[in-house]
Amino acid sequence: MNSLNYIGEHLWLGNVGHFLVLLAFISLLCAIWSYIKATNLNDQSWQKIGRYAYITHGVSLLAVIGLIFYAMLNQFYEYKYVWEHVSPDLDKRYMFSAFWEGQEGSFLLWMFWHIILGFFLIRKAKDWESPVMACLSGIQAFLASMIVGIYFTDTFRVGSSPFILVREFFDGPIFDNPEYVNLIEGQGLNELLQNYWMTIHPPTLFLGFASVSIPFCYAVAGLWTKRHTEWLKPVLPWTLFTACILGTGILMGSAWAYEALSFGGYWAWDPVENASLVPWILLIAGLHTVLVAKATGQAIKASYLFFILSFVLTIYSTYLTRSGILGDTSAHAFTEMGLEWQLILFIFTALGLTGFLFLKNLKSISVPKDEEATSSREFWMFIGSLVLLFSSILITYSTSLPVINKIAQIFNPEFDDMVINDPIEHYNKYQMWIAVFVGILSGTAQYLRYKEFNWASRMKKVASHIGGSILFAAVLTYLATQWINAVAWQYILLLFTALFGILSNIDYFINFSKSNAKAAGSVISHVGFGLMIVGIMASGLNKRYLSSNQFAQAELVNGLDLRKNITLLKDEPMFMNGYWVTYTADTIKKTIKEYEVTFVKKDDSTGEIVESFILNPNVQYDKKLTKVAAQNPSTKRYAFRDVFTVISGLPPEQIDVESAKEIADTLNWKRYDVKVGEVLDLEKSKIILEGITLNPANKEYQAEEDDMSAGVQMSLWPHKDITQKIDVLPMLAYRGQFLYRFPAQANPVNTRIMLADEFLQEVYQTDENLVYEDVVIKQNETAEFKGYKIHVVGIDKEASHPYYTKQEGDVPANILIKVQAPDGSVADLRPMFLLRNNQTNNLKDYSPELGLHARIMFLDPVNEAYHFSFALDNRADVTIPLMIAENVPRNDYIVLEAIEFPGINFFWLGTLMMMLGFGFSMFQRLKGN
Amino acid sequence: MKKIHIVSFIMLAAGIFLFISASKDTGTFHTFTQALKSESPIKISGQLSKDKEIYYNPEKDPNYFSFFMKDSEGIEKQVVLLNKKPQDFERSETIVLTGNMVDDKFMATDMLLKCPSKYKQEEIYVRSEVSL
Repeated sequence: MNSLNYIGEHLWLGNVGHFLVLLAFISLLCAIWSYIKATNLNDQSWQKIGRYAYITHGVSLLAVIGLIFYAMLNQFYEYKYVWEHVSPDLDKRYMFSAFWEGQEGSFLLWMFWHIILGFFLIRKAKDWESPVMACLSGIQAFLASMIVGIYFTDTFRVGSSPFILVREFFDGPIFDNPEYVNLIEGQGLNELLQNYWMTIHPPTLFLGFASVSIPFCYAVAGLWTKRHTEWLKPVLPWTLFTACILGTGILMGSAWAYEALSFGGYWAWDPVENASLVPWILLIAGLHTVLVAKATGQAIKASYLFFILSFVLTIYSTYLTRSGILGDTSAHAFTEMGLEWQLILFIFTALGLTGFLFLKNLKSISVPKDEEATSSREFWMFIGSLVLLFSSILITYSTSLPVINKIAQIFNPEFDDMVINDPIEHYNKYQMWIAVFVGILSGTAQYLRYKEFNWASRMKKVASHIGGSILFAAVLTYLATQWINAVAWQYILLLFTALFGILSNIDYFINFSKSNAKAAGSVISHVGFGLMIVGIMASGLNKRYLSSNQFAQAELVNGLDLRKNITLLKDEPMFMNGYWVTYTADTIKKTIKEYEVTFVKKDDSTGEIVESFILNPNVQYDKKLTKVAAQNPSTKRYAFRDVFTVISGLPPEQIDVESAKEIADTLNWKRYDVKVGEVLDLEKSKIILEGITLNPANKEYQAEEDDMSAGVQMSLWPHKDITQKIDVLPMLAYRGQFLYRFPAQANPVNTRIMLADEFLQEVYQTDENLVYEDVVIKQNETAEFKGYKIHVVGIDKEASHPYYTKQEGDVPANILIKVQAPDGSVADLRPMFLLRNNQTNNLKDYSPELGLHARIMFLDPVNEAYHFSFALDNRADVTIPLMIAENVPRNDYIVLEAIEFPGINFFWLGTLMMMLGFGFSMFQRLKGN
Repeated sequence: MKKIHIVSFIMLAAGIFLFISASKDTGTFHTFTQALKSESPIKISGQLSKDKEIYYNPEKDPNYFSFFMKDSEGIEKQVVLLNKKPQDFERSETIVLTGNMVDDKFMATDMLLKCPSKYKQEEIYVRSEVSL
């Protein structure tokens, strides 16, 4: 950089920020060291130092976050982070979203939660504090290294500082200007992210990610201090907490996808989704082994491994989603940060250290001598955990293909990239078997007891209840297949196991646990899982494109009917799959254009309306209105089905300005100079000019005071159908010095009509075309001018006129007159008289409504008379200059995608119940302590 | 040997089986030449031919979109996608298609676009009233 003295920068903020980041980082290193000492020496004073160090870290990092918010709120665009994520028009309520839109911000959000959780642990973890906090500080140090922004060479750096300046990052001639800060403005938050989901989803998800660290830290602490059974008790509520929060975070993502994004679904097996799902599945596996370990002493090693894997895969998921390695395989666009090596180092450090700890202490983990009986609960719970492990291995393998490709190419540069041919089908195919096992196991294992010692006496009862559940589930499955179109036996089996899971859990709760509150959490979660599967099957298998018009001809590919979209002409009802659908209206509010689409279902025989609703999908333009930035769906929700709609296409000229320009360039305009009452005979239609309208109404134009606008009312009579009449009203409007053109389009005849600019001067004439006549009127008297009654009210000394600027020595005066036109309409005019340098001048006033021009020429104080000069617009004989283009593409349609999702509420209900179950169990466990 | 080990062993075997069958779901990117010979749907990645016609007329059929694409060998074919035209299609850097050849056209059942990322070629916005 050069040595210019820049003006207007707020460098203090960056300096303080840099310092605080470094302080936060160094105090973390101190915390790690002290807590390690405290653990190894079992020393209270080291623990105290660790505590203070961590608190110092927390406070500095909170201050860093505060500084960034300060810079964002005050729009200090010299900072790159502010420049990238904030813009002057950004609503204040999106400031949080803008903060975590970027990489640095989202790392800070993650660390923020670690700080909060860390403070909580310092207060509550008691004798676990030192080892757990040592581990948490270590994790936090790796995250903090992402934002320290220390450059060792020009290209090698550690972290990316949120306080970097725009001019340090970009090169440009603009930075030769010392006042560049006043010349730049930020880019702002991506339009797609400007909704409330972006406000609530990331903090929840990152709290989930941060919480994954806690069971991991307890696992590390357990291994480290060799307290292999003691750590199980405190880790359990934390695991339940994490399962609940992380799960909720993931669900919010899918709710966002379903509600606000346009792909039509809640889960797409996108790598980014998978990456956060896998740690959650492993955590659930860990949850089950911890329960086993607590009750029986079995599965301690497995618990350690599950929590370690869950954490490592969280970091791995961060690597996948932020390194750009996913490339073609993901729809999520994450920007590269250039810090991939730091994340890889993080992963291998975590794996290496915990692997070493695990192997070193393996022998000290005691295993009960008795093997678990096949009739015991722990046996099947353990199998269930293995099933979950399986699920996560399969997902991770498929999601990691891009990574595997990269590694293979290191050894063999010729290696061709492997890709999954049909990702959604691929994942569903394998994960459905996982769900089958989970359904069976979650039902069966509930009936069993830990350390079963008296199986013989219980066998009968358990068997009869399992049998009853199977029978009942089979009947329900049969009934459900009447609703859910389960086309293959595998689907029927899946449905059966899900229902079995639901029924057996309810049965267990009522008949075995005696409605014990302790069992309730697990029952709620397991029933929720079953309901979720039912919801997935109903909404997935019975998902139906309403918007396929069976009459439209299309080529079929492999016998598949892929027609998903339908074109709706405005006000023309279309029949699709039982509904009459009409695009009835559209409105524009700021950057959003909202459409009104009505759905009507009629009874076939009586023709009565049996169902009707209106949906309002919209499209969102970018802030400069140059192109469509996002399409937002609109969904009609019923208890047992949803009707989802999204605008999937628009006339090209409404999609972006480039297409609009392209179309405008191809139009063949012809000019016609016509008068009211004339008839034009064109290629496609006859046009009758019906009359001139002053201040006409137009959807895209809202009149303001002092506007001058006029349009021409005309009707088009198509040659094809002479009974049809199309009314249009093209118009022009002057606002200040700007002329706005509002052409009209008659879509049935593909005709566009525009008024030439000079039309306004024909209606509102200028002085050179006017003939003024003098009229003398006395104060408080009324005179007549061509049928207009003119009454003089008097002089207003507080003179004003749009074209008048006061000068020294001026004597100005407005003469107030009231005018009544022959048609009864009235107007107040105030022409101005001005004495300047002993010269008389006047400024005219004009009433566009009446077409009257008024000037005050001379004041006669002796006779108290006013000498006016009036003129009238010649509106009876206006020549209308018309521009007409035929063969214009229609612009009055939308392309709609409408999908029916039956039973989707089972999915939401089921998933929510799962989370509720975790939360409930957590409170039960905490109460027990 | 413990029962749990036996079950684990069976699951491991099932897992390996699943893994092998799962890897059949994967493939590499192909070319139009290979697509001519293939019976089943395959994936092709390539670039949009910007000089050739991009056809989409929802007035006539909202589910018919056609354009020309060059594959990695530089062979150009017409592609037909029986769906809407995706947004920002012209800006795409890479197109990944799934489908097969029917006569001389590639009939795509699925299309994925890779667009330039938001920040890559961004220039500094300058307030409009200031000229530099």
